[in-house]
Amino acid sequence: MAAAVRRLDKQATLTQPVVLRGRVGAAFALYLPRLVGAFIVVWGASSLAFLVLHIVPGDPVDIMLGVQSQVSEGVRQNIREELGLTQPVLLQYVGYLGKLVTGEFGMSYRLQKPVIDVIGEQIMPTLQLAGLSIVFAVVLALGISLAARGRVARAVASLVELIAISSPTFWTGLLLLTVFSFQLHWFPISGGQGLNALVLPALTLALPIAGILSQVLRHGLEGTETQPFVDSSRARGLSFSQLLARHTLRHAALPAVTLAAYIVGSLLGGAVIIEQLFGRPGIGRVTLEAINNRDIPIVMAIVIFAALVFVVVNLIVDAVAPLLDPRLRGAR
Amino acid sequence: MTSHHRKGGVLAILAGAALILAGCSTAGAGPATDNPVEGGTITVAIDGDPSSQFDIHVTAADISALVLRNVFDSLVVQDTDGSIQPWLAESWEVSDDGLEYTFQLKEDVTFSDGEPFNADAVKANFDHIADPETASQYAAALLGGDAYAGTEAVDADTVKVSFTRPFAPFLQGASTAYLGFYSPKVLEESPDKLIAGGPGITVGTGPFILESVVAGQDITLTKNPDYNWGPANATHSGAAHPDELVYRILPENAVRAGALTSGEVDVASNVSPNDVPALEVDGTVSVTGTGTPGLPYSIFLNHSKGVFQDKLVRQAFQQGIDIGSAVTAVYGGEYDRAWSVLGPTTPNAYDPTVEGSWEYDEDLANQLLDDAGWTERDTDDYRTKDGVRLSAEWPSYSAPREDRKSLIDAFQADLKKIGFELNPNPLDGGAYIESLYGGTYDIADWSFVRPEGDILRLHLYSGFAPVQNASFVNDPELDDLLVTASESTDPDERKKIYSEVQHWAIEDAAIVPIYVPSHIIGVSSTIGGVRADITGWPLLYDAWTSRQP
Repeated sequence: MAAAVRRLDKQATLTQPVVLRGRVGAAFALYLPRLVGAFIVVWGASSLAFLVLHIVPGDPVDIMLGVQSQVSEGVRQNIREELGLTQPVLLQYVGYLGKLVTGEFGMSYRLQKPVIDVIGEQIMPTLQLAGLSIVFAVVLALGISLAARGRVARAVASLVELIAISSPTFWTGLLLLTVFSFQLHWFPISGGQGLNALVLPALTLALPIAGILSQVLRHGLEGTETQPFVDSSRARGLSFSQLLARHTLRHAALPAVTLAAYIVGSLLGGAVIIEQLFGRPGIGRVTLEAINNRDIPIVMAIVIFAALVFVVVNLIVDAVAPLLDPRLRGAR
Repeated sequence: MTSHHRKGGVLAILAGAALILAGCSTAGAGPATDNPVEGGTITVAIDGDPSSQFDIHVTAADISALVLRNVFDSLVVQDTDGSIQPWLAESWEVSDDGLEYTFQLKEDVTFSDGEPFNADAVKANFDHIADPETASQYAAALLGGDAYAGTEAVDADTVKVSFTRPFAPFLQGASTAYLGFYSPKVLEESPDKLIAGGPGITVGTGPFILESVVAGQDITLTKNPDYNWGPANATHSGAAHPDELVYRILPENAVRAGALTSGEVDVASNVSPNDVPALEVDGTVSVTGTGTPGLPYSIFLNHSKGVFQDKLVRQAFQQGIDIGSAVTAVYGGEYDRAWSVLGPTTPNAYDPTVEGSWEYDEDLANQLLDDAGWTERDTDDYRTKDGVRLSAEWPSYSAPREDRKSLIDAFQADLKKIGFELNPNPLDGGAYIESLYGGTYDIADWSFVRPEGDILRLHLYSGFAPVQNASFVNDPELDDLLVTASESTDPDERKKIYSEVQHWAIEDAAIVPIYVPSHIIGVSSTIGGVRADITGWPLLYDAWTSRQP
């Protein structure tokens, strides 16, 4: 999943908008190529996923049924026919695209439910998890990068970041659970017990992201603070916090914002592990099960969903970057 | 069949530390009273997610049967000694030719949607299972597969199940949740919604009613206040004690154990043997394990290709691995070394005379390989014959769990000593299934829980290759024996045949049994009355909680 997702990200950045001049339809001219690019990314991702799912070894029905089931070959064949798996792959592909155009994602093989319903039911827990993780990550990263002043503090921050980035999510999660849930009883393991149950999973997911963000922010700040304009601003009488708010943090934030796609990838990939560990519902868990059971309609829908998320995130980054850095506005 | 235990080692250590520390804290209320308490909620941690596998007539998943046992009743119940006792059927008769089973049903039994349970309901359910449209993965086999002839409602409370040939394992199958009963109204009105399940769909006659399902998180059941038709071996009659049962899905072993000691759940199902020592130290939790009946965790040696076509090589493999030491080292005494292709708790079938009959013997293994002509050695000190190395491939579904990996490592080291190369080969799901169906592996491995000797037919009968008969055993005499046992109505004859087959399996080295898995249950001291059924699964009908709201 994560690998596929990263590949998509590259594709998304390759389709940079063509620069068009002229006032008439400027906005349209700006966004049409992006939308076309977005469409190509989503179509490419879904086609690639379709191809991969059909060339990897193993019969989907055999995989779905598993080793311990006792199902006659006749019944297996019936299932294959019902799912349309006996048709030529090209025909399946065309039929699949046709349905996509009409917004129909089909039925999950295994769950016997419309794919839209499956994803619809599971998306909120993942969005909540991802949302709180982002908040935690940004707060932690800002905290660390602003607090780490001076040589010793920087060395400590650097070490903390390295640990946060390189600890496996699974391990971090279990450690947090052990301390804060099993021993101190501060937080429940998870489940539908409200915000309290979301803290540990979100923190686990946030730590590696916070590590990366903090690294980038810190390097940005350190780099910016040696720039001559900082001295002249200070000479104009700007306080440190004013300088930070108006200039240096803005400079430092730009590389951090361009990491957004990477962060989204971490969130989607991390959700698989977090949801399993904490016994949470969500898209990550659905993805894992769908892949294990070769539930093709679900996997396809999730690939399209992931591609859409990346496209949207990149569009947002493109829109936000000029706000942070006026120099980029000239490109229009 | 689960495969999400990659980090088991780290987990075990962490969990151990966590549990010892957690032992200092106190959990919840005082200990359970000896007398049942009405009301409250019992929370059970389970290791799998049954959602989307709710149709008990379709699914083969253990976890579905474990949870839905509370919702669906069966005609009969199998007690822990293997005896079949009344449940929804008051009594039954088997015709002399073994072709007809006539059940006298209890009166005044109703489904939780108000529909009556009667002979028509039994017929509707069994016909639903046998219908090819249902695509049943397990229940249809328990109902005899193509031996099932049909069900007839003799009168309102008498039902006759017929077979085209005798099918002796039927009563045991009829005791499982897989042959439980849906409200006929649901079968009629929403047959396409059974797999997804849910309140109003997953409707049975059981002591609990499905209240809500949050996929991947929990399943809530509420007490059926009208319930008055419990199984004969229950310790009480009438409605269940707690108002509510909540099953929490916690796939990670360490998390289930931690949730139990911290009081977040009351019962933990399928506790890992690694977590047992820490739970025992805890003091607020009791731990019980029941060896599972059926096929123990076993290694299948593929007769159809490669080195294992030669019986001498199979025997050398069997004698050349130190199973006892490996099982003790990996499971710390929680699981017993298996001696037979049936677990000791398999009723009316296990033959204890197999025990001790095939100890680890490196010299004998070497001798067998010499006799088989594998006398040359290559530069890596592996045996060769005609320039080909003595080597066996053992594919697995993704990376094996930590415990299984330790076993593989131990066997690999043992086999190296006799010049036999063992090649573990983790594959992705699709490639693994393809390898199984194509019979391209040398070694396959799994266990299969079922308290019935007929499980041997599934794994040794020629017609079940590929896949379940993973050794590709093809012996007409053995086939005859297995079919005779499945058709015999004489328990002594069946036991005699299964004894013979168990000795045959060891002599032929078709399946090498490794360990007897145990379903370990952890129960908080605030809970009373939890029983384990014959497969070791927790039964909650008789349970109560002293932790009241």
